[in-house]
Amino acid sequence: MRPGLLLTFAAMGVATYLTRAPLVFALARRRLPDWLERYFAALPIALITALALPLVLLAPGNAVPGWVTDLPAAVVVAVLARRTGHLLVAVAGGVVLAAVLRALLG
Amino acid sequence: MRAEVWAGARDALTTVVPSIVAYGIVWGGLARQAGLSLGELVAMCLLVTAGTAQFVALPMLQAGAPAWLLVVTTYVVNLRHYLMAASLAPYVAHLSRGWQALLAHGVTDESYALTMARFATHRPHPAYFAGSAATTYLAWYIGATAGGILGGRIPDPHRYGLDFVFPAVFIAILARTIQAPWQWAVAGVSALVALAVKGALGGTWHIALAGLGASALGIWLAPGGSASTTGPVGSRGEPIGP
Repeated sequence: MRPGLLLTFAAMGVATYLTRAPLVFALARRRLPDWLERYFAALPIALITALALPLVLLAPGNAVPGWVTDLPAAVVVAVLARRTGHLLVAVAGGVVLAAVLRALLG
Repeated sequence: MRAEVWAGARDALTTVVPSIVAYGIVWGGLARQAGLSLGELVAMCLLVTAGTAQFVALPMLQAGAPAWLLVVTTYVVNLRHYLMAASLAPYVAHLSRGWQALLAHGVTDESYALTMARFATHRPHPAYFAGSAATTYLAWYIGATAGGILGGRIPDPHRYGLDFVFPAVFIAILARTIQAPWQWAVAGVSALVALAVKGALGGTWHIALAGLGASALGIWLAPGGSASTTGPVGSRGEPIGP
């Protein structure tokens, strides 16, 4: 085990923690102004959308573009989630369709 | 409280965990190829605690990049956590500093998304977040260690559609959450910004930039100031609920 490498990893861990902890501490006990409350109300939707869409449409390593195989699967996920309200059913349906489409078209 | 921990663990297990294990296995195999010993890669998982940053770091380690560059890159890749931590903060407000410090470790894409979806429909409880975060971490450690032991003999998660689990979970959460027109607007703008930035810059900038930018719409469009952030069950969780 190389000590220098461990030090680097520890420093990377500190860098990671610096992105996680400060705002938890800073915002936990403070009453926010109304406009900031509305900002934070929108934040989960904005963040989760930003995580999801590029993974569907711009994912690296796909033989065929994402909109051919993954976009239909994503639509199925959305419809199943809305109809059934069940996360597992929706995700499983989408993964199976994505795998089938990739096998057929990829 | 124990029920909430289990609920978080159960929701993680039935959605993201299989893929996290698969990606852990891939990462562990790549880490060995990048020259890390089994002990070193386990230490890296335990110390760095961030999967995306660990993936980004491997080719840099292999190329002999200087330590400061690895640290700066890790910080930049993880910038998106600031936003997640900010929106989780009110739900841990009543906890001690020690618990807040511990739970802050649990801020990951997956635990954040699962938790916000849960808090939109159930009474928010930080134990749910703890359960889902601990489970996703365990999955990552188990996968990475297995990958390190297996070395390069690993299946390609893409072949089985396992990479699609991550966007699928996020989309299922959005589909259950988005009801009001203003929520559609936020999601639409975020999608456009994220795709444009990802296309232009690559990397993970799109998450922070689209998250920061599209949320600003909420200032004008979100139903305003119920003005009662009376603790963990504040008004902030309600607008994303059905």
